Amino acid sequence: MTIHTVRVAMRPELRDPPGEDVLYEIRRALCIDNVERVRTARVYRFEGIGPDEAELLARRLLAEEVFQIFSVDEPVLSGADQYLEVAYKPGVMNPEAASLLKAARDLGIKGLAAADSSREYAFYGPNIGADDLAAITRRLLVNATVEQVVTEPPRTLLIEGVSAPTRTHSIRSMDDEALLELSREKLFLNLAEMRAIRAYFTTLGRDPTDCEVEVIAQTWSEHCGHKTFKARIVVDGVEKKPLYERLKEATRLAAHPLVLSAFVDNAGVMAFYEGQAILGKVETHNSPSAIEPYGGAMTGSGGVFRDIMGTGRGARVVASTDMFCFAPPDMPPVAVPAGCLHPHYLLRRVVDGVRDYGNRMGVPTNNGSVHFHPDFRAKPSVIVGAYGLMPAELSQKGAVRPGDLGVVLGGRTGRDGIHGATFSSGAMTDRTVAVNASAVQIGHAIEEKRTSDALLAARDAGVIRAVTDCGAGGFGSALGEMGAEVGVEVFLEQVPLKYSGLAPWEIFESESQERMVLAVDPDDWEKLRELCAGFNVEATVIARFTGDRRLKVSHKGETVCDLDMGFVHDGLPQTVLEATWQPPVLTEPDLPSPGDWEDIYRRVMGHLNVCSKEPIVRRYDHGVQGSAAIYPYGGVAGDGPNDAALCALLPGRPYAMVVAHGLNPGINNIDPYQGALWAAAEAVANAVAVGADYRELALIDNFVWPAPDTRLLGALDRAVDALTDFVAATGMPFISGKDSLSSTFRGRNETIEIPPVVCISCFGRVADVFRTVSADFKRPGGEIWLVGRRDTSQMGGSVYYDLHGVPGGKPPVIDLPSLPAVFGTLHRAIGDGAVLACHDIAEGGLGASLAEMGFGGGLGARLEIPAGERPEWFLFNETPACFLVELAPGADAAALFAGIPAVRVGSTTARETVEAVFRGGVLFQTTLAGLRSAWLKPMREVFGS
Amino acid sequence: MKPRILVLRTDGTNCDGETLFAFDQAGGDARLVHINELRGGFAKLADYQVMVIPGGFSYGDDVHSGKILAVELVSTLTEQLLTFLAAGKPVLGVCNGFQVLVRTGILPGGSPGPISLALMGNDSGHFECRWIRLRVEKSDCIFTRGLEGRVLDIMVAHGEGKLYTDPGRLAEMEARNQIVFRYVGADGEPTDRYPDNPNGSSRAVAGLCDPKGLVLGLMPHPERIVEVTQHPNWRRGGFHDPPALYIFRNAVDYVRAM
Repeated sequence: MTIHTVRVAMRPELRDPPGEDVLYEIRRALCIDNVERVRTARVYRFEGIGPDEAELLARRLLAEEVFQIFSVDEPVLSGADQYLEVAYKPGVMNPEAASLLKAARDLGIKGLAAADSSREYAFYGPNIGADDLAAITRRLLVNATVEQVVTEPPRTLLIEGVSAPTRTHSIRSMDDEALLELSREKLFLNLAEMRAIRAYFTTLGRDPTDCEVEVIAQTWSEHCGHKTFKARIVVDGVEKKPLYERLKEATRLAAHPLVLSAFVDNAGVMAFYEGQAILGKVETHNSPSAIEPYGGAMTGSGGVFRDIMGTGRGARVVASTDMFCFAPPDMPPVAVPAGCLHPHYLLRRVVDGVRDYGNRMGVPTNNGSVHFHPDFRAKPSVIVGAYGLMPAELSQKGAVRPGDLGVVLGGRTGRDGIHGATFSSGAMTDRTVAVNASAVQIGHAIEEKRTSDALLAARDAGVIRAVTDCGAGGFGSALGEMGAEVGVEVFLEQVPLKYSGLAPWEIFESESQERMVLAVDPDDWEKLRELCAGFNVEATVIARFTGDRRLKVSHKGETVCDLDMGFVHDGLPQTVLEATWQPPVLTEPDLPSPGDWEDIYRRVMGHLNVCSKEPIVRRYDHGVQGSAAIYPYGGVAGDGPNDAALCALLPGRPYAMVVAHGLNPGINNIDPYQGALWAAAEAVANAVAVGADYRELALIDNFVWPAPDTRLLGALDRAVDALTDFVAATGMPFISGKDSLSSTFRGRNETIEIPPVVCISCFGRVADVFRTVSADFKRPGGEIWLVGRRDTSQMGGSVYYDLHGVPGGKPPVIDLPSLPAVFGTLHRAIGDGAVLACHDIAEGGLGASLAEMGFGGGLGARLEIPAGERPEWFLFNETPACFLVELAPGADAAALFAGIPAVRVGSTTARETVEAVFRGGVLFQTTLAGLRSAWLKPMREVFGS
Repeated sequence: MKPRILVLRTDGTNCDGETLFAFDQAGGDARLVHINELRGGFAKLADYQVMVIPGGFSYGDDVHSGKILAVELVSTLTEQLLTFLAAGKPVLGVCNGFQVLVRTGILPGGSPGPISLALMGNDSGHFECRWIRLRVEKSDCIFTRGLEGRVLDIMVAHGEGKLYTDPGRLAEMEARNQIVFRYVGADGEPTDRYPDNPNGSSRAVAGLCDPKGLVLGLMPHPERIVEVTQHPNWRRGGFHDPPALYIFRNAVDYVRAM
């Protein structure tokens, strides 16, 4: 069929913001200055309609003549020196195509068989060389895993393919070497595991199909099976319980009364108020984000949102968080290993991905942080969290019954996320795709949003027996887990596909996004189907739960998988891992006291790990759902940072959910035990700083580690011990977690390990938002108190040391026994109304916290440094679980803080300066304006504004 | 009887819950209605007295923000829509809803027709969520009765909110008192300065109505500031009785008196 092409561009006299954006990156990221101007056009292709209909679509749908021009079947941009059109590769879903088809239908246009959209760039500048264009193409405009340059117009937009047949692997006759060969190629299992598979099929007297082998490999993968965390672990010759066991046991012993579900579902659930429950899940998405940061971050958000949606019998996503670790954005390009993307680009694109998924889903992204360290230059850490709300009575998974139907809801299944798959199709002349699928997924937030709308309606109609998300491992994992106790029979020919040509095992293992899997009573099926249709959501029966505890999969009558559930889920041989641990040798540098206090203070404020992240936060919709009772930034100028998110989840009621987190990769590098404690203490301190009661909070752990050898495993062991000690000391439970142990980069010439990351998230309930505080100073003349225990000589891992080029030093040792009293007392003081402002101390120390409270309040401070202190330590020590507090007039500090370490350190002033007084004299005085501009500068340079 | 408010929902609508709450606080009986219910005849526009198109990313904002929904409304619900407008019933579009109203042509003219305004990409080139100041202008808009001259703290959260049209058209709307809201600086005067004017809108226009004052569209989100604790600085004191709530109350009161 003929294809007609509509091109739409901005009127020439108007600005072209996407073009300007590209020009900025060409100059900023590529340092190419031959390009003078960039203009862009949208290109729409339609197959199966005539030119008149294409013109109608142009006028009624595609172009608005107030500000745009268009053309049909001819160029729209002219006079440029170079042109380039970039499109999705065939087989990669273009989310816009469905909207084009829908709108054409609504306009009464018939016969439209397929539609596609792409973007055209026109570059102006007589000296643009072929090299320049190649660099722009490769490094800015085309992500080769999903996109391509259109060199000649496609002959068809329809994608067809012939599916490969099911094959068997003659595993029974393989020796160890052959087993390892098979594993290396595609399965990534160890020899013991491969032998277990061989033994199983030898007993059965047959060889496995490709589908069976894939199912087992997927279920037993590190990603799904968490083998390291479940392994027996021998530390310096002494066997200890598996890491995962220890965390679960600590939670069990804490026996927290609010916990409804811990470690058994897609998210951890705790009681809220009025019969509601809140739930949280935090995921890592490092590898995809390193290769394709925009898509990787999007699918990271999409995946963690689905974890919330797929907990219990369905939950609504009410908040999203993001914690990133990158190399410094101003890193010289030569320092970035070949084949890795520059951190400046990564940071911007990851932020774009989180923005576009969260904003479109209508989920407020209201808590997060960005950390910088050069050793993230090969692989960033991208951690995304989501929180939800659901009726407490639906917080447990329903038990699937034999006879129940297995239903897939939402997006269609394609080749996305299938490892190393190659896509080619005879019908698609000139268009062949080699898809490295673990990297190639384009999120479609609106698909997920409508699926969420339908899912919640189905839950409220009582037609969901059980639900889970379809993520890693695809149907194999989702249906395999859901049917683990009863058995399931899957009919792959029923699965709605994006395009034909998928082999049965590909359908079963595909990791296409935006799909949920439900177990449904057959009597409820019709109701569910109708309900979903009302939300434009596709729902299809693809399986039946049986009662025979087998995993049976067929495709058009041919059996492609028939396994015993017991073997799939319990057949994995337990690993024994050796670990070793040498306590770090800590030497303390002897740095002279600063000569120029104003200079060092400003440099601390402008350090990447201290500076304002406001330009990132402003790109996220943190106000949608109308729940915010404290915003990421507030105060008189709207730029004073707060410590935690508070979401009033029940409109008109005073209750809130608090969300906070902590991480410090720098300290983990020095001492993983203190680094993990730092993260946990910081997470809780952030929540307490706004007024939360630590006894009503739960924790979520995330470990992002280099591939563990015995030393790194020893470090991991120490980090887990720190967390279980934290649980024992505070009674706060871990209720969900995730580990990702592959952040080692092996390049041709170098191996780079990231600093180990322990990210602790914390969420819980707050009884009354009117008894909470923000961080901005409220009035001049108020007393400022420092609350919490710290030994200021412990400067290891601090920003101050980093600025002096000191990598080590003694890190802050957190006094665990005193934490509950500090947290509890501060919570009471805030609840009593005695506290006007509170800010916890973290990166940048007391000095940074003080300045930030001043920015928020438009107020300065007179700081009185105790005589026995060393001023630079006092100002820049980073012991967490310490707080700066502005007291209300007339508050009795002695009574409020009885029994906990607290000292008066100064007062607020109307004059916007920080004046430090030490041993009777003024040590320094500096303006808030100077500190603020240093603090705002780094991210403004990356993000423009 | 409480007036019935239809909060229109479709794929990608996401400010529906808070819009529902705002109208309920204002004394309305607000219901979420999916456009498929209207198209399938399971719900009728005629059964409602106010129609609201809330914020979000309808159909992913594919092609243009709000475009696919705008095409769907005028192509498949033409009769119902015309009858509703002809009956003089109020219509409110917030953010994406404003974009939809502009792309149906209902704004600024009052009925579907040619598109004469554009809500273009922000000058900043990106989505932006922040608190700004909004001045209520003198107009015949029924939603802002009694609020004239007030300056409201309100949140914007959009990537395409820059109002653009030819100067003649803008002058015409100004002459007809159709400009309802303007972005203002700390001095209370309209401004082109970023970020007080967050998107670069011509003459700082943030919201406008049809000549009769019955159809209102605005980029900022009044539904996010109907309770004291939704203000970013309520803890600093001085914020009571959220003025944005009166936008919803005015609509409820107006149809009650109809």
